[in-house]
Amino acid sequence: MSDAHLLVLSPYIALAATAVVVMLTTAFYHRHLLLAGLTATGLAATFACVLVAGAEDRRATALLRMNDVSLYFIGLLVVVALAVVALSYGYLGRTERRFGDFYTLLTLGALGGAVLAASAHFASLFLGLEVLSVSLYGLIAYPRRRPQAVEAAFKYLVLAAVTSAMLLFGMALVYAVSGTMLLDKVASAGAGLAGWEAAAYKAGLALVFAGVGFKLALVPFHMWTPDVYQGGPAPVIAFLAAASKAAVFVVLLQSLAPLDPQRGGVLVVVLSVVAYASMLAGNLLALFQQNLKRLLAYSSIAQLGYLVVAVVSSGAAGGARGAGTVAVAFYLTIYALALLAAFGVIAVLAHAEGEPEALSQYRGLGHRRPALALVLSVSLLSLAGMPLTAGFIGKFFIFRAGAGAAQWGLLVVFALTSAMSLYYYLRVIITMYRLEVAPYAAALATSPGGMSAGRRAADRVAVAALVLLTASTLLLGVYPPVLLRLIEHAASVFR
Amino acid sequence: MQHVLWLIPFLPVLGFAVLVVFGHRMGRRTIAVIGAAPAGAAAAVAIATAVSFLVAPPATHAYDQVMWTWFRIGAFAPRIAFHLDPLSLVMTLVVTFVGFLILLYSTRFMRGDEGYRRFFAYMDLFIASMLILVLAGDFLFLLVGWEGVGLSSFLLIGFWYRERANGAAARKAFIVTRVGDTALLVGLLLIFTKLGTLDIQGAMAAAQSQWAQGAAVATAAALLLMGGAIGKSAQLPLQTWLPDAMAGPTPVSALIHAATMVTAGVYLIARTHVLFELSPTARLVVAVIGAATLLYAGVSALAQNDIKRALAYSTISQIGYMFLALGVAAWSAAVFHFLTHAFFKALLFLSAGLVIKAMDEEHDIRKMGGLRRDIPVVFRLFLIGAAALSALPLVTAGFFSKDLIVDLALTSVHGGVWLWLAGVVGALLTSLYSFRLVFLVFFGERRGSAPVATRFPRLVVWPMVALAAGSVVLGWIELPVHWHGWSLFTDFMASALPVPGIRAGGLLDAIAVTLIPAIVSVAGVYLAWVLFGRRRPAVAGSLVTRPGFRWLAGAALAGWGFDRLYHVALVRPFLWLAHHGQRDWIDRLVSGIAGPAAALGGLLRRTQDGRLRYYLAAAALGIVVFVAVGLLR
Repeated sequence: MSDAHLLVLSPYIALAATAVVVMLTTAFYHRHLLLAGLTATGLAATFACVLVAGAEDRRATALLRMNDVSLYFIGLLVVVALAVVALSYGYLGRTERRFGDFYTLLTLGALGGAVLAASAHFASLFLGLEVLSVSLYGLIAYPRRRPQAVEAAFKYLVLAAVTSAMLLFGMALVYAVSGTMLLDKVASAGAGLAGWEAAAYKAGLALVFAGVGFKLALVPFHMWTPDVYQGGPAPVIAFLAAASKAAVFVVLLQSLAPLDPQRGGVLVVVLSVVAYASMLAGNLLALFQQNLKRLLAYSSIAQLGYLVVAVVSSGAAGGARGAGTVAVAFYLTIYALALLAAFGVIAVLAHAEGEPEALSQYRGLGHRRPALALVLSVSLLSLAGMPLTAGFIGKFFIFRAGAGAAQWGLLVVFALTSAMSLYYYLRVIITMYRLEVAPYAAALATSPGGMSAGRRAADRVAVAALVLLTASTLLLGVYPPVLLRLIEHAASVFR
Repeated sequence: MQHVLWLIPFLPVLGFAVLVVFGHRMGRRTIAVIGAAPAGAAAAVAIATAVSFLVAPPATHAYDQVMWTWFRIGAFAPRIAFHLDPLSLVMTLVVTFVGFLILLYSTRFMRGDEGYRRFFAYMDLFIASMLILVLAGDFLFLLVGWEGVGLSSFLLIGFWYRERANGAAARKAFIVTRVGDTALLVGLLLIFTKLGTLDIQGAMAAAQSQWAQGAAVATAAALLLMGGAIGKSAQLPLQTWLPDAMAGPTPVSALIHAATMVTAGVYLIARTHVLFELSPTARLVVAVIGAATLLYAGVSALAQNDIKRALAYSTISQIGYMFLALGVAAWSAAVFHFLTHAFFKALLFLSAGLVIKAMDEEHDIRKMGGLRRDIPVVFRLFLIGAAALSALPLVTAGFFSKDLIVDLALTSVHGGVWLWLAGVVGALLTSLYSFRLVFLVFFGERRGSAPVATRFPRLVVWPMVALAAGSVVLGWIELPVHWHGWSLFTDFMASALPVPGIRAGGLLDAIAVTLIPAIVSVAGVYLAWVLFGRRRPAVAGSLVTRPGFRWLAGAALAGWGFDRLYHVALVRPFLWLAHHGQRDWIDRLVSGIAGPAAALGGLLRRTQDGRLRYYLAAAALGIVVFVAVGLLR
């Protein structure tokens, strides 16, 4: 291993070192600001490492594929983790008395996600997935005096364990017949197989896909989402929704990229069915939802369904493959921005007794906390795909990729369910700007004055992060080239 | 300077954003600074750009700045791009400069209003939208500004939204102009599908090379664009919204009438003049609409008793003059009249605002009178404005610009005697209604209560003085054609707007053409004095008692029944249709989709009962199905 290899792996080294430093510091100095600051510094250093690693020769290990796409997503993960730190600082200060392990777990989760994003091998895939999942169990159950949080973590644990077992078994089957664990080769290994070997190979792939589908909360593995989203602490759910899904999705994208559309027939059919079901079920379930966190959970099922449309299209021949990758990368980014902002608003409004979940608690928020209401409105409009927000451009790219691959059936459902989704997104916004103010929102108006100086500062940090996220959402809506050039450059590895 | 073009619309947008996001924590003084300063800064940038443009004219006679491409599907690649040629330069200068003066005035005028921050935020948005409209290099970007103007006018006309009538006026303005906007959108789509580009200059060049003179498609495109223009510019038959738009605060009216909104239509036609040169039919329609509107609105203005409504009709009439000029291919004459009109109309509205304030929110000129002695400063400013509006020879800017239009209505190769005659009659009407206002408001005896305020702060008066100065001297940049002096304005515009061909005429013609409008406008003032100014208005009194005349005055007061006509012919049938179509098969079809969606959603929701074993069962079932599919295929 040379110095250059160390540079390529430097994001992992920085993340792991951050986790260790934060863990050790927690043991001796239990100061919230110090821990959060250390974590943020470590994450920022990691981001710098990502930039450095981009300039280096990439073949450091067979386990990781450090191409531009994985580097882009590692960078995205780090940014998401940074935003989550900014949101958690005030949130934990208000709701918890112990903070240290939270940041260790968060950093480890980011590390798992980063491994996942670059995994080129079944081993690294499984390792990354487990590091990420185990951190998430701890993070979701972090407010351990809240029974809902513990319940959510428990449900997540049981289901994740079952699907992990499936994933492992699927990997074993594939390895048994193909003799390889490299994702590149796995995809094309089925060609020469026949008889029971072919059957084992296909069954193995199906099991692997089930494991991935669970993490992405695609139908029919979506059932856990609303319960976990509702029970878990808002900043953690933001991380779960934005970072963990992005990381897992990259695996799907990267391992399907070398897939030939002709031979990928079965997989394309399966993915299409999953996309149809996710778009329909997610949007239909969200329609009459009165709980904001559950509503966001259902909407994220639908959003992932849209993303699968782009993946299906990226399997098509010619230039469309690049278009699909660009669509996925762009959409995952703006989806992360929107969900971080939405859960961030919930986190800022939370207090020691719990988080505002019922839609009725948001009545009149626009008059009490205009900035927060604006942030939530913009992120919901972006999720709905309104022009001038990033969501419009994202949906536009998915549509273009789908049209390039002639996936008309998927596109029709995509358009119809998107229209349907406006109903529940706008309902939230209208609720916030209603003239009568809910008791919950009314109590907010008096609290900032009554806060201690430290809490007010924490509140400001979170609001500043949210405003930054919202500004990015709007900027990407009117000026997409800033990000697009980067993504198009990264996606050129698949051409 | 072409790299700072984006700053001009961006600064007001920034002012708007800052006021919206942080304004609730600001004091009135900060709000005033953040509200007014961006327009001033934009004016400074515009002036600097103008200087560099004049000193070192670019080879293409235009500055172009392409910021970025929004997205791209084939040829459809909307760009954020700015194009500055003499036409947009003049528009930009007027919008920023006059807009800034109006904002300065508003900082004190609106001081007592509880919606102070909202007011300045909307005004900044208004100015920014108009600047995007005039600077856009792309049709889609132009449309962004166009819609922004519509939105902010809606917000500002309904500014005092607690009163039902104001909301109705705002809605009316929005809906009536929307009729035109629809035509504009169809026109733009037509241009895009036929010429394959959104770039305005590119599309115009393509039209010139691909479409034959008098081609049907050119006529269609030109007429559709004109539909949009008459909506925004309040020309017949879409003029009904403007008199009601007086519901907003007075500075809003000044802005709508002088700098933003109503001149957008004039700009649009001048910008796409290539299409109108290709289509004599479209040009004739524009000229006839302009002539008819200027007469219609002139007569209506004569009958109004609300000072602001009278001024509103006068705007419709003056924009009619601009349309007349556009119709005879005198493009730069239209823009010249826009320039001078912006100054004196802003001045008139701001003065009217002070009159109304002095009279304690009284709008009715029949209850005023004799104010000359109480508020002499306002009287003088209003007099300058009215004189400029009446185009009194030599001493006012209005004379030079209106004279140019009336002249070209006859001498342009596309002009005609009837158009000229309309212009001359309009000139008589203009000075008649202008000085009717002057005499009824400022002369004679006091007919209502005494003024409640007679002194006004400097910050209110000085912007008006600047406007008054412009209303007096600006005309001298372009002397009447027959004086054979200089024509700086037309020369400057020549690279953007072609000069119309002139019919040769004798010396006698020239004298008649120059003298008659001047004589007519002075005669109008005298007539106004006879009718309304003398201590005992005997002539007017004897006229008013005649039943025929009373009917005429009533009709003119009501704007010749357009509102009632539209109500009976359009609004009522529409409401009837909407009411009776509530449960027709189309609606059932649409709600028929909602029902199953709700039912399906309810069914799916039952699966989410929180029990882990069902979740596991669903996942297991899914895996079984996937494996089965994998094995069977």
